[in-house]
Amino acid sequence: MRKLFAALAALAVVLCAPVRAEDLVSGISQDVIEITSNYTGSDIVVFGAIERPVDSGTRDVVVVVRGPDTDVTVRKKARVAGLWINSDQAILKGMPSYYFIASTRPVAQIASTYTLKNFGLGLANLEPSSYHSHHDVEPFRAALVRRMQREALYTETSTSVEFLSETLFRVRVPVPASVARGKYDVDVYLFRNGNAVSAQTTPLFVDQTGLERRLFNFAHAEPFIYGVSTVLLAVLLGWISSLLFRQNL
Amino acid sequence: MEIYLPIAEMSVQWLVILGMGAAVGFLSGMFGVGGGFLLTPLLVFYGIPSSVAVATTSSHLTASSMSGAITQWRKRAVDFKMAGVMLGGGLLGSIVGVWLFAILRKAGQIDLVVSAGYMILLSTVGGLMLNESVHALRASQSGASAARRSTGHHSWIHGLPFKLRFRESRLYVSVIPPVLLGFAVGVLSAIMGVGGGFILVPAMIYILRMPTNVVMGTSLVQIIAVTALTTILQATRNYTVDAMLAIFLIVGGVIGAQYGVRVAARLRGEQLRLLLALLVLAVAGRLLFGLVAMPDDPFAVALGSP
Repeated sequence: MRKLFAALAALAVVLCAPVRAEDLVSGISQDVIEITSNYTGSDIVVFGAIERPVDSGTRDVVVVVRGPDTDVTVRKKARVAGLWINSDQAILKGMPSYYFIASTRPVAQIASTYTLKNFGLGLANLEPSSYHSHHDVEPFRAALVRRMQREALYTETSTSVEFLSETLFRVRVPVPASVARGKYDVDVYLFRNGNAVSAQTTPLFVDQTGLERRLFNFAHAEPFIYGVSTVLLAVLLGWISSLLFRQNL
Repeated sequence: MEIYLPIAEMSVQWLVILGMGAAVGFLSGMFGVGGGFLLTPLLVFYGIPSSVAVATTSSHLTASSMSGAITQWRKRAVDFKMAGVMLGGGLLGSIVGVWLFAILRKAGQIDLVVSAGYMILLSTVGGLMLNESVHALRASQSGASAARRSTGHHSWIHGLPFKLRFRESRLYVSVIPPVLLGFAVGVLSAIMGVGGGFILVPAMIYILRMPTNVVMGTSLVQIIAVTALTTILQATRNYTVDAMLAIFLIVGGVIGAQYGVRVAARLRGEQLRLLLALLVLAVAGRLLFGLVAMPDDPFAVALGSP
């Protein structure tokens, strides 16, 4: 009897699992952010729905927006003979230039540290791909995170995931004016009982347009002519101003 | 109203930038100093990356110096011959400076060398000028006419060879001191990212003994050449000159410089020197504070790896 029950239960799991598995669909309100002369930062909206929801157990949604990677040098000052001088430094490679994470609960409660580090979820689990440092890198990494948080380039929040219904959610992601240009990744994870059961990645592009774009390209394609033009502009403006003010000297 | 800077890759309030340009331009026109030693820290404080701030400041200096120099030139207060001689040393100096800069950066202590070097230099120059100008003011107040420039005064400088006549400066001196002075300023401007006017002006007054009114215009001409060269070098090597930022700084700067020249015309030489001395000492004090005060955060973050 017991054997039969076990067999039936196993059969039920096998039959139902593919049908009952929860899944996730997500999207973003715009896949390109164009930086123009009056760009002062904007919001994008990441939205998603949970398909075939299961009611039992705990379910968590985590939304991550990660900007292009960059290398960062962090220097530590120390007091030597009364002066504060750079005494130590660490170079962290492959840190995101922008990082936003929103989750239904604080990430530490959602999954194990091992899982979080693996996916790079949460500011505490954001690690460089490699680093050069003579000492423990952690204080330098933490200093970088603090600094980026101050500039609103790193954000961690557990209150931003808005559920519009049982299964439909959205997250408003602020993109400040100082973001780097390039390809961003918008990752949406679905966690169930501490395991990532579904994940979806959507690319987001941040780029300059119009005059700004042309100036940037000019500066990189023809740096000498760009430099000379800037000097000529300066000389011209200086000369014009002295003409304008000439009469009332 | 905010405006986006394509090279700095950030938005700024354009009125703030215009105001910074005007304030520094005013000082530039008034004292004949470029003002780079004030503008660069101001821009960095506002959040602009320091590499962009240093590079773009030099184009602002070109414009405000141009504006001031033309006005001075109309008053016949420019000694082009002296400026040319100093520039010869200056170009050589910047080449040596760029080379020194690379060595110091490798050693990792460029920040300390720059701040401490600045501080020592500024407090020395400022202290000497303050002392001299206070004496001059006292002398003129006590009834006696201010100590006139003693044209017959002989020092070791007059014993040097290769003498040239500088008509506008009413000088007949060896070219060695101006060339060395230009060289020193060239080295400093490459290492510290400034035009060097604040060193050049006092040195021309006290070492070369040029008349104060000619010093301003001559210094401005020298600064135009040095900063124009620096702008082009920065644009070609580091791509850090932001033309958008430069326009707003320049428009503010050239207007400020015009008012500066006017105010300077109403003041006497020793009063001008006293004010410049106080300004130089204030900047030195700020730098000293930065070196000895406990930083808010002992960690400093810089994008990129050296």
